[in-house]
Amino acid sequence: MNVHPLIQISSLDIHRGSRLVISNMDLELSEGEVVALVGSNGCGKTTLLESSAGMHMVSSGAIRWRYGDSEMKTVRDSEGRRISLPPMGLTLQKNGMSGEETVEERINTVLAVSGCKINQIQLSQLLSIWGLEHRKSDRISQLSGGLARRLAVLSGMVPAVMSANPRAVLLDEPSEGLDEVARALLVNWLRALASNGHGVILATHDPEIILAADRVIRFDGMHDVSEQLQDQVHSNFELPEPTNDTKISKFSSLFNWAYRMEKRNPIDTLNRIIPSILALLLAHTLISEDEILIVGTDFFAAMVLLPSFISVVIPPALISRYSEENCGRWWSAVIGPKFRMASSIIGSSIILPLPLIYISWFVLSNNISNLDNSDISTWLWLPGLVMFSVAIAASALHLLVSDLRRSGASVVSLLLLVLVWPFIELTDALDMIIVDGMSIGYSLDEPLSMMILACLVSMLVWAISVYLPDA
Amino acid sequence: MKHYGWALTCIGGAGVLLTAVMGYTYAPLVQSPPFRSPEAYRILFWHVPFAWTSFLAFCLLFIGAIAWFLKRKEWGWNLFCTGSDLGLLFGLGVVISGPIWGSAEWGVPWDWGDLRLNTFGLLTAVALFIVLSRRSQPDGIDTRDTLSTVGLFGFSLVPITALATTVYQKRHPSVVITQSDETGLDPKMLQVLIIGIFSFWILMIGLSILTFLAYKLENELRHLLHSLDEEVVH
Repeated sequence: MNVHPLIQISSLDIHRGSRLVISNMDLELSEGEVVALVGSNGCGKTTLLESSAGMHMVSSGAIRWRYGDSEMKTVRDSEGRRISLPPMGLTLQKNGMSGEETVEERINTVLAVSGCKINQIQLSQLLSIWGLEHRKSDRISQLSGGLARRLAVLSGMVPAVMSANPRAVLLDEPSEGLDEVARALLVNWLRALASNGHGVILATHDPEIILAADRVIRFDGMHDVSEQLQDQVHSNFELPEPTNDTKISKFSSLFNWAYRMEKRNPIDTLNRIIPSILALLLAHTLISEDEILIVGTDFFAAMVLLPSFISVVIPPALISRYSEENCGRWWSAVIGPKFRMASSIIGSSIILPLPLIYISWFVLSNNISNLDNSDISTWLWLPGLVMFSVAIAASALHLLVSDLRRSGASVVSLLLLVLVWPFIELTDALDMIIVDGMSIGYSLDEPLSMMILACLVSMLVWAISVYLPDA
Repeated sequence: MKHYGWALTCIGGAGVLLTAVMGYTYAPLVQSPPFRSPEAYRILFWHVPFAWTSFLAFCLLFIGAIAWFLKRKEWGWNLFCTGSDLGLLFGLGVVISGPIWGSAEWGVPWDWGDLRLNTFGLLTAVALFIVLSRRSQPDGIDTRDTLSTVGLFGFSLVPITALATTVYQKRHPSVVITQSDETGLDPKMLQVLIIGIFSFWILMIGLSILTFLAYKLENELRHLLHSLDEEVVH
């Protein structure tokens, strides 16, 4: 029987911080084998496992995964190449799940990103095997630590379990926090996965799990890596019936996930709306006809745009959701190189800028008697549209700073200052529309060109923040 | 190299002080009008050299960021750190001296409608972000990658600032060193300004050498500490 590799790692060097953690590492995972990475704390097990999923920048060497029946592709290498992984299972050391998700949503999301679909009966069957069926509608935050770990482990294995095609599964200390029963179940599932032709790499300290491996790779220092083969008998343990593979929907799954989290707990919307409304109320008390005569209509235009601008520069709640239990790292591994781009759009304030501009306009323009409301309100959607580009630029800058290990210790607002420029351009453009009416012209003093410029600056900031870090 | 660094810093520092003295005593007073606050113009002899020198410092930052980003060169990172420190130092000189002059001459310290002011303020903010983040974040490849990205992002604003200087200039005066009917300077003023610019450049070169050497030593020390860590663990 031909056994094909699922993952090939060659001459891999990985730095964590300024330390070389993995040096010149070669590893291959084939169909039907369980490989255990064993060693003391800090020896590089987790780094190697996560690097296999393309989660770390490669200093030297390459990581290749199998796509389809036999084609091996480089998913990440030291030349900067990076592509999205094929369907696989991944359980991180931290659970990688948001507390807002329900148990059944988690399983459905994991299956959707790996191109599987199951019905409610199959879902209930899966959950009941792992003792989670009675909690399937509960949020993960309501589960005990042990049950949450069961769910995380199940989430890591289910993309392989439900697929008839061989898949790779990466599990980081899967037995940590599991009770005796769950550990025994995990061992049975590991052996059954191998018997069904899937491949598993796991990092562990657990002797029981190590015994279930076909191959043990022991780290006794960076340059002292030994390998030991272990005989295993074919497992007759029955896993749930696999389903037919369906279309992989990574981006729509991320969008749906973010939407569901926000719908359940709308912290993003509220965090953005409350300061915006406060700014609007303050502006309402400040602006009067006499004031406008003194300070000019540009001040009035700025006040109309300010609530919307404030709403777009607030840090996205998506970032705090990502930081929960390494949830963002799980998504990053699953989505691949376009994760940052997708997150900057999904995390930004898409809906609020336009209505906020209109609300501000209608509230503030009541204070001034000689404004021709109809013409101006006809064109207010244009700055609203440009504000959307400012929103995704702000979101990308927040994401860029969230990459730092102590992101909370960095002053992101210093970078957000760049967005004052598009705001000023928009203010000038709206001022012109208020004073002279809208005109369609392309000279630099026309409102349309000013808005195009504001949009271009925002898109430039977005592009730099999204593409440079992964270049 | 260290001695050259100290010597240049001392010479540059002396030149900077000389510029201030000459600005007050040797340079003639401008007429009022058109100047609203004629005495305040003398801050120009520090303000302009601060601005030109800060651009040089931002260039160091950019070269360092590119060298780190593309080749992961240690000297690139040291240059990046040097450029950000000096960019912040001289940038702060500009954004402090500018509003002082602006308050006296225009009646307002800052004009949010003037892109030249704003983009320069932003460049300084980026340098401040980098300096603060470098101090607060654990050093490592990932941190360096992110911060050098921010550096490249900041430097991309330099051509925008240059464009803003010429195309979108509103309140800020045009480049004064260029001789023309509109921007010509009294020869004595020009002399002081040129002395100021060269002094600031010499000061910057001296400080760059010293800062670069300090970061190089810091990195060597860090590697030694890591070696000690390894020995303790194994």
